[in-house]
Amino acid sequence: MNSLAQPILLEYLALGAALFAIGLVGFLARRNLILIFLSTELMFQGIIINLIAFSCYYQNTAGQSFVIFVLSIAAAEAALALGLVVLLFRRRRTLNVDAWSDLRG
Amino acid sequence: MDRVRRPAAGGTVRGILGTGATMNNWLLAATAVGAISLYLMLPHGRRRMSQFGALLGVLALGGGFVELGLWLSHGPLAAAVAPAGIFFYVFAAIALASAVGVVCHPRPIYCALYFVLVTLSVAALLILLLAEFMAVVLIVIYAGAILVTYVFVIMLASPGGGIPAADYDRVSADPLLAVLVSFVFLGMILQRLFGGPMDGFMLARAPLASGHAAAAGSFAGLAALGANLYAHYALPLELAGILLTISLVGAVMISRKHEPVVRILGAADVPAE
Repeated sequence: MNSLAQPILLEYLALGAALFAIGLVGFLARRNLILIFLSTELMFQGIIINLIAFSCYYQNTAGQSFVIFVLSIAAAEAALALGLVVLLFRRRRTLNVDAWSDLRG
Repeated sequence: MDRVRRPAAGGTVRGILGTGATMNNWLLAATAVGAISLYLMLPHGRRRMSQFGALLGVLALGGGFVELGLWLSHGPLAAAVAPAGIFFYVFAAIALASAVGVVCHPRPIYCALYFVLVTLSVAALLILLLAEFMAVVLIVIYAGAILVTYVFVIMLASPGGGIPAADYDRVSADPLLAVLVSFVFLGMILQRLFGGPMDGFMLARAPLASGHAAAAGSFAGLAALGANLYAHYALPLELAGILLTISLVGAVMISRKHEPVVRILGAADVPAE
């Protein structure tokens, strides 16, 4: 009980920030379309930790309600983004982002 | 509580790490070492460097955790808070290590599997935060639904087994810039969290769980969540449902092959290929 019931807000916020930062690294550095979107899911995980930690801190459930919305946005984003990835892969037969750099105009 | 504590050097440790400012510098140093290690671990095509980076990363993670624990037990907040138990540190370490795996592994399928590990450890952390329902939902939706979609797409759009990882997976785009941007961002947040004035906002309210603790073991927390959701967020909830439906339809429309409609309708008549 002792070790289970004493979460400290600061530690969870730091962990959420670290997960977000690592996801940001992946988002900026990877060149695979799928992994770019997987990195955004990593950033979502950091945000979820933040929201739940604040929900626990203020002892209400608003944070958990927000997490439900975050999850539904994440699911919608995953479905649409992966549909687009499949479409793009069919056009160029590669997942390399640089293959589409001519979209820059 | 289980954490690293060195009674012999207790006085010095307290002296060095005790105040908020030095603590801040130590944590920023750990962040910087973590940044270097992540830079070395990002796919370069060179194996030795990523092993060295992994070693540095373990050092940074361990140093950061020890520092955090010492600061919480000896620092200015020591009277008000107790550091989280061993479970927090174990699951946080698993989450961060497998997050690095997601970002750094050259094979996309392993990245997806590492992401499952991140999801599971985040769910464990949510249980520590007394959000059991959200933990289960996270596992069901992320590990169960979203990750399966990812694995399917990786399967559909990958060169196939036995072939070495593609070029664009073995060499990352702008590792230095990406690591710099992200970790300056992380350093800013940590600076604000640990270096700012210690007003009431940043103090942990002593055992955070006390409000829920009475309800632990029953579904009262879940009932409160439902009441909150439908009392305050009924319209957004419906909109989220509509959004999900629209994105489902859109995903099907985007990703289906553009064949003549007649052929799709008459698919039952055409023998399977």
